[in-house]
Amino acid sequence: MKLSNRSLICQSMFGAVLLATGVVQAQNQAPAAQQAPYHVAPTPYQNSGPIGCVGCPANGAARRAPVQAGGQAPAAPGGAAAPQRVGPPQNLANPLPYDLLLQNGHVIDAKNNIDKVTDVAIKDGKIAAVGDHLNAKDAAKAIDVNGYIVTPGLVDIHMHVYPATAEWLGRSSDEPAQSGEIPITPRMSWHTLWPDGFTFRSGVTTVVSAGDSGWRNFEDFKEHVIDRSQTRVLAMLNIVGAGMRGGRYEDNLADMNGEATGYMAQRYPGIIVGIKSAHYTGPEWTPYIESVKAGNMANIPVMIDYGSNRIERPLYQLLTKYLRPGDIYTHMYSGLRGEQDPHTLKPQAGLIEGRQRGVWFDAGTGNGSFRFRVTVPLLKEGFLPDSLSTDLHIESMNSSTKDMLNVMSKFMAMGLTLQEVVEESTWHPAREIKQEQLGHLSIGAIADVAVLSEQHGNYGFLDMDNLKMMGDTRLVCQLTVHNGRIVYDLNGISMDLWNQPASSDPQTAATWTVYTPRPALPEQLTPTQK
Amino acid sequence: MLTRYLRVVLLLIFCSAVAAQAQVQAPPAQAAAAPRRVGRPQNQANPLPYDLLLQKGHVIDAKNNIDRVTDVAIKDGKIAAVGNNLNPKDAAKTINVSGNFVTPGLIDLHEHLYTVSANGPLSKLHGIWPDQLAVRTGVTTVVDAGTSGWRTFEDFKASVIDRVQTRVLVDLNITGWGMDHTGHNESDITDMDGQITGDFAKKYPGIIVGIKSAHFTGPEWHPYIEAVKAGNIANVPVMIDYGSNRIERPMAELVTKYLRSGDIYTHMYSGLRNEQDTKTLGPSQGLIDGRKHGVFFDVGTGNGSFRYRVAVPLMKAGFLPDSISTDLHYESSMGNTKDLLNVMNIFLAMGLTEQQVFTDTTWHPAQEIKQTQLGNLSVGAIADVGVFSEQHGNFGYWDMDGLKMVGNKRLVCELTIRAGKIAWDLNGISMDVWNQKASSDPTMASHWTDFPPRPPLPEQLTPTQK
Repeated sequence: MKLSNRSLICQSMFGAVLLATGVVQAQNQAPAAQQAPYHVAPTPYQNSGPIGCVGCPANGAARRAPVQAGGQAPAAPGGAAAPQRVGPPQNLANPLPYDLLLQNGHVIDAKNNIDKVTDVAIKDGKIAAVGDHLNAKDAAKAIDVNGYIVTPGLVDIHMHVYPATAEWLGRSSDEPAQSGEIPITPRMSWHTLWPDGFTFRSGVTTVVSAGDSGWRNFEDFKEHVIDRSQTRVLAMLNIVGAGMRGGRYEDNLADMNGEATGYMAQRYPGIIVGIKSAHYTGPEWTPYIESVKAGNMANIPVMIDYGSNRIERPLYQLLTKYLRPGDIYTHMYSGLRGEQDPHTLKPQAGLIEGRQRGVWFDAGTGNGSFRFRVTVPLLKEGFLPDSLSTDLHIESMNSSTKDMLNVMSKFMAMGLTLQEVVEESTWHPAREIKQEQLGHLSIGAIADVAVLSEQHGNYGFLDMDNLKMMGDTRLVCQLTVHNGRIVYDLNGISMDLWNQPASSDPQTAATWTVYTPRPALPEQLTPTQK
Repeated sequence: MLTRYLRVVLLLIFCSAVAAQAQVQAPPAQAAAAPRRVGRPQNQANPLPYDLLLQKGHVIDAKNNIDRVTDVAIKDGKIAAVGNNLNPKDAAKTINVSGNFVTPGLIDLHEHLYTVSANGPLSKLHGIWPDQLAVRTGVTTVVDAGTSGWRTFEDFKASVIDRVQTRVLVDLNITGWGMDHTGHNESDITDMDGQITGDFAKKYPGIIVGIKSAHFTGPEWHPYIEAVKAGNIANVPVMIDYGSNRIERPMAELVTKYLRSGDIYTHMYSGLRNEQDTKTLGPSQGLIDGRKHGVFFDVGTGNGSFRYRVAVPLMKAGFLPDSISTDLHYESSMGNTKDLLNVMNIFLAMGLTEQQVFTDTTWHPAQEIKQTQLGNLSVGAIADVGVFSEQHGNFGYWDMDGLKMVGNKRLVCELTIRAGKIAWDLNGISMDVWNQKASSDPTMASHWTDFPPRPPLPEQLTPTQK
C-alpha cells in the first residue's frame, strides 16, 4: 500500500479529508455567527473544471473531526485482501499520568523564565508538567532528549500559504498579457507553499499567513488550506479584498475597505489574528489608514510591508503617527524604505520612536528583505528584532531564507544568543498576534513542542544580495510535537531499534504519536537475527 | 566603487531576473510605478570557456565510470569538461568543493506532485510542490508516479509541470482519472483503457516516460494487461504498485509473465505482497525470477512500503535495489521517508556504499525510464549536478513500523545545479562574504546563478566596517 490511508480515500473523499485534517485545533473552530453584509465573490479557482470536488460537503468545518492513529479492520478471510483501514480508530485510554515525557532537555520557555535542563510531560495534548526528575514510569512513552533544546513549538508570523493568490509573474490569470509578457493560463497561480511541507521539519507548529487572502477570499483559503493542514494556520487578512494577487490588485485603492475587512476579521476570532498591507506602490496613506480601521474593529494588530519607498509617505510618519502601539512593521532589515540612516548607518529616528511607542519590529527575511549591511549596523546599535519570521514562499524557500531554523541560525551567527532567537520565535510572536495561549510551556498549554539540536561547524548564511556570513552553529529540528502528538522525528529518537524488543506499550502509541501503526507481519517473518 | 554604467547594467539584470523569477516583492523606490516584468532576461555573452567550475570534488558518475577527485566545468547549461586541474581563469565563477561528492543531479523515480487530483482544485492533500523538497536535496528530476491519468494529465502539465524549476516527468496512471479522489478510484476497471492511455502517452514523448498501475484491490489481471498494452503502444516502461495481495494474481506470475523485461516493480521492500520468502526470509522465488526476466526493482519507501525486517534479510541475500526512490507525498514527507537523501542515508546505514546509492539515484533510474540523457556527467549532457557533504555521527533512520536503524553517515546537499544554474546553496559556498570584496564579476552572475541580483544600495550605505 503506497498511501497509508489508501483504502479510506478510495471509499470516500470525506474520509480523506478527515485524515489529512489531522488533529483539530480547537481555537480554529469558526463561530461564523453572523451573516456577512458583503457579498463574498467566488474565486476563479474554486472547484472549476471537470475534476471538481464531487460530493464534497460545502462547509469545510463540518468535515473536521479528530483523527486518531491505530485501528484497522481485520484482514479479509483467507488473507486474500490487504488489511483495510476503516473508520477513525478508537483511542485506548492511557491510565498513566503522562502520555509523553521528554527527559533532561535544555528547556527554554521565555514566558515562564525557564532556561535550564529539566523534564517536560504531556498528557491529552496539553503540557502536564515541567520539572526535574519526572518519573519515566508515569509516561506511556519517555524520550531522553539530553543534549537537545526543548522549546515551545515555533511560531512563524510571516509565511505565504494560500496558493490561489500571489499570481505567477505578479499578474493574475484573468488579466490579458501585455505586449512582451508571457501569457498566463488559468490557475497559473502558485507562488505560495503548502504549510505542512515546511513547518514540522523545522519545529514550526503555528504559522501566520501574512495577507495571502483578503476578505473576499478568506473563506476559500480557510476551506482549502487552513482546515486541511496539520499545522496551525492563522491568518492576517490583506487589506486588499482580493488578497495578495499581484501588483494590479494590490495597488487598487478601491478594493481596500477597512470596514469589510474588519467585519470579516470579527467573524473569525482566533483564526484571523491581524490585518496586512503589502507591496503598495502609490503615494497615498489609504492602505494604512484602512488597515488600522480594520484592526480597530476586530481588535487585532496590523502588519505592514511598506511597499515602495515614497517621499509622500515617509516611514517616520508611518511608525510614529499612523500605526498603533502593538502593530507590526515587517522586513525591518531590508533597508529599502529608509530603515537605515544613510549617514550614520544606524536605525533611523522613526524606528527608534516607533519602538518607544510600542510598534513591533519583525524580521521577515524573505527573498529580498534582508541584508547584512543593514542588519549588522542596526544590531550593533541594539536594534534587535521583536520577532523572527521567514516570509517563506516559492522563491525564498530555496534562496537565502530556506526555513525558520535557518533564519534563527543566521541571527545567532550575527551574535544573538540561543535564548534570544528562541524567544523571538515563540513567546514574542505569540504576544504580537495576541495569541498568548501559544509560544510557551505553561501547565495546561497546548502541547506544541520543538526539540532542537545545535550542530557545530562552519556554516554560511545568506542575504538577499547573495552575500554570506559565516557562523559556527546550525539549529536542527530533532522532534516536533503538535497538540501532544509526534509529527516529525528526524532521527527516530522516539522509536525503538528494529531488531530489539519494544521499550513501551505499542497499544498506547496512539496517545503519543500520530504515526499509524502498521499491521503486523505474520509471526514467522520476524527475523531471527537479533 | 560602482560606475554609473555598471549600476545601470545591474539594474537591468535585476529587472529581467525578477521577471524570470516570478517575484512578488515590491520594487525599490526610484521609480513611481513597479518596473514592468517583461520577457526573459538578456544574457550577456560570457567570453570564457566555462560559466561555472566545480573544483576538486569527489565525482561519482556511474555511466562514465568516474569515481575520483576531479573538476567539473559547465557552460551554457551543459557539462563542458570533466578532468583534473581545469583552470579557474577559464570560468566566470569557480567553487572549491573539495571534501564533497559531486554527482549528476539526482533522479527520484517515484513522487506524487499533482495536487489537484487529490480532492479537487487546491486541495493538495497528498501531492507536494516539486520545488519544495527537490532542489534542497540535490534532486533535479522527479517522476510523478501515476498521480494523473490521460484525463487529467494536461491539467497537471499546465498547473505544475510547466511552472516548476524541477524537471518533472510522468508515469501516466492506467486509470483515466489517475490517482483520483473525486469519486472515481483506481480499482474501477472500466476506466482502464490501454489503447487510449498508450495513444495519449505518445503525444508527450520525453515527458510521459511510463505507465503506472497502483492500489488495485480486485482479483483481475486487467489493470496490468492494459498497462502493458499502453506501454507497448508508447514504448515506455510500466511501473507497478501491486495494490492488494490477492491469491488470484500472485506476484510471481506478475513479474515473470505479465510484465516485460524493463518494466518496474516498486515498493520492493514492503513485504506486503510476498516479496519475502516466509521460510528463508530472503527474496521470494518470484522476485528472483522477475529479476532474471529483466524486471527492475525500485524502492519507493513511501509511508507504508518499507520495513527493515524485510529489507535487511533481502539485502543480506544480495537482493539489492535497482533504483532508490521516495514515493514522496505529504504524509511520507513528514514520516519515515522525508526526502530522497534520507532514503539514500537509510541504505547507507544498511550497508550500501556511497557509489551504490548515487548510482541507484542517477544512472540506474535514468536507464529504467529510458531517459539516458539524464543521470550522467558526460560532456554535452544537461548540467544537472548535485554537491553533497557527508556528516558523521549517530543518526537514526526509521521504517514504516516506526522502528529505527542507527547509522553513522548522513548525506547533506550543499549545492544543486539545475541546467547550469545554481538552484540551491545551503551554506553559500558559491557566494562571497558580505563585508569582503567580490571574488568574481557580478555582471556574469546570470551565467551561473538563478538568484536575482539585487539593485545596489546608494553608495554611502556601504558599511565602512570591514
